[in-house]
Amino acid sequence: MANPNTCKFSKSHEWVDFIDETTAFVGISNHAQDLLGDLVFVNLPMEGDELEVGQVVCDVESVKAVSDIYSPVSGVICAVNEDLADAPEKINEAPYEAWLFKVENITKTEELLTLEEYEAFCKEEE
Amino acid sequence: MKLKFLNTYKTEPHHNLALEEYLFTIMAEDDCILYLWQNKSTVVIGKNQNAYKECKVDTLEKSGGSLARRPSGGGAVYHDLGNLNFTFLARGKNYNVEKQLEVIIYALSFFGLRAERTGRNDICVDGRKFSGNAFLKRGDRHYHHGTILVDVDMAGLSQFLNVSPKKLQAKGVASVKSRVVNLSELKPEITVEAMRSALKKAFEQVYKSSCEEIYEDDFDGRAIDELEEKYRSAKWLFPEKAKATFLMEERFNWGEISIGLELSGDRVKSASVYTDAMETELAPMLEEILQGCRFAKDELAGRLFAVSEDYKTIAEDLRQLILSQDL
Repeated sequence: MANPNTCKFSKSHEWVDFIDETTAFVGISNHAQDLLGDLVFVNLPMEGDELEVGQVVCDVESVKAVSDIYSPVSGVICAVNEDLADAPEKINEAPYEAWLFKVENITKTEELLTLEEYEAFCKEEE
Repeated sequence: MKLKFLNTYKTEPHHNLALEEYLFTIMAEDDCILYLWQNKSTVVIGKNQNAYKECKVDTLEKSGGSLARRPSGGGAVYHDLGNLNFTFLARGKNYNVEKQLEVIIYALSFFGLRAERTGRNDICVDGRKFSGNAFLKRGDRHYHHGTILVDVDMAGLSQFLNVSPKKLQAKGVASVKSRVVNLSELKPEITVEAMRSALKKAFEQVYKSSCEEIYEDDFDGRAIDELEEKYRSAKWLFPEKAKATFLMEERFNWGEISIGLELSGDRVKSASVYTDAMETELAPMLEEILQGCRFAKDELAGRLFAVSEDYKTIAEDLRQLILSQDL
């Protein structure tokens, strides 16, 4: 669904796919799912949750650890990807299709990176 | 890297988890902390598990035990004072699971035991598991904690864990059963106290540095109390978004009945009752009186006293049915 080439990335490894100026899908990057390893559970947020930039939104559990997911934007969650509740492995299989939540009324965005910048950032982090 | 060592002799699980999270929040960039702690009779479930599915909450509470949920992943475990817990806390590159496991393995070598990591998160001696490990990451902060079975009462383990999956269904991470062993069975000289000292020594030797002992009295007690309250709260133990269904079916001389409870958090969100009994008002009446009840046998059974006098025998049968559930 989302195309990594047109997505924006946070330094905490989420991707953001804007469908208009104030609405976006959020998921985790291919690099992030690779670091996490096989996912066993996605603890999804609730529709209607209000988000602030940098806030913990939900968490994912892999065979290695429970890891928090941070919000790259301020806004309101208008949908969550319930499919992931039964099939967390979809994040490993197709991280850019497996969106976690959709945010509307986005008022603020953290400093986001392009794919190229993000890849350089990941290399630096290693 | 600065090695720090904290021993606590408090045995209240919610307090000990609070202290662990407190350390996690305050640790400095170059700290590597080893924290040792024990819980009195407690079932500890993973972050994303359903309490009712993993643990016979009623039986546990009636026996004076506690239920606790940790922020790390994985399955349900039973703790008592025959178990020693360890936590390694560090940030960024100072967090090194391999090295941390080496500390445990090295500590066992002092007693002449050869331990090895098996599977993903277990440490075993001769293929028998004595330690299960779990992990948490928030930004650059990490912790790795685990159990060390020294002399755990295995009866408690089977008494409180696992509810019939046919009766209770819920989403969440499943627990994996393993063949476990108490270390004292392998080497009688291993006690919890001996293990505490061995771990401290191994910590210093593996990291080739001496550790500074730190004390809980020097911390912000109020911050720890606040965290403790979180760990003790129903909101943390039974999150509202954790849904489950519980089903009871039975045949009585007045007819067959099936009572399905849809749970949200620790409450019955709605009940669905089906029966072939002649009393047509019965099902909707039961559905109404069970709604909103806390999911505990005594409370559910207690609500049946509200059934009208006309159905006294039926209500008594159902009370017995509820009280006989293995929860």
